[in-house]
Amino acid sequence: MMKKILFALGLATVMALPAYAQARQVTFTTQLKNYGGDGAYLAIYLTDADGQYQGTLWISGEKSKYYKHLRDWARGSGLNQAEYDGLTGASVTSGRALKVTLELEDALIDSGYQVRVDTSVEDMRDNRSDVVVPLTTEGSGKTVSGRGYVQSFVYGLK
Amino acid sequence: MNIKPIVISLSLVLMSGSALADDDCDDPVAQWQPRENLRKQLEAEGWTVFRIKVDDGCYEVKGRDPNGRRVEAEYSPATFELKEMEREDDDDDDDHRDKPKRYSEPTNEDRVPRKGIVKGRPSVTVE
Repeated sequence: MMKKILFALGLATVMALPAYAQARQVTFTTQLKNYGGDGAYLAIYLTDADGQYQGTLWISGEKSKYYKHLRDWARGSGLNQAEYDGLTGASVTSGRALKVTLELEDALIDSGYQVRVDTSVEDMRDNRSDVVVPLTTEGSGKTVSGRGYVQSFVYGLK
Repeated sequence: MNIKPIVISLSLVLMSGSALADDDCDDPVAQWQPRENLRKQLEAEGWTVFRIKVDDGCYEVKGRDPNGRRVEAEYSPATFELKEMEREDDDDDDDHRDKPKRYSEPTNEDRVPRKGIVKGRPSVTVE
């Protein structure tokens, strides 16, 4: 009887531990320029060093029919809903800042992965890789500029 | 027999089917009315029309409704039937600029089966 309980307890601990030990809290802050158009659609996602899509972090913009304009992200994710389910919210108005805080696996940091941001605004041009920045401990807290609608981008590791 | 082209075209047909959203319009182009008619009809109802463009087969109208609210509405181009109406209160609206908006509700966290690299539901603010 005792053995059984111990076994179950051990099993539960082993199963629960990795979920806690490997997660790292990261905050991504994206400040938009005053580009003076409609709300911007953004895709924040992870690629490997060659730009190959690895996973979605956040999508701003509620109408999925416009997601194809987030071009590189759309190609990488195949616009597959399972890739972005539960990771979407409203588009971001010109001049405002989007702050996304989430839990990432520790193994994704300092392993050659890059954070990329694709942006798009209705009736204006689409920007693939508005931001490209390696996901490293060293890069945490360092602000980079975007090429398109993004004024500045910074991530912070906790 | 070479079935490759058949398979490819069949899958293309299936893919295009699933890519169409529900709020698309599918009126035959021959039956479309000029967008000026829609503009006149809306202005007669008290609208201010900024722009009408074609989006996914619908006429998409941006303007102010009779109550002065900024809206984006979609009409079917043949019958001018209203398909979708959306208030645009997230721009031009300075009264609550100082308050950060929160719209990430963790309520469906357990419900959503998702593959991917993010654990749980992110918390998101716009400032």
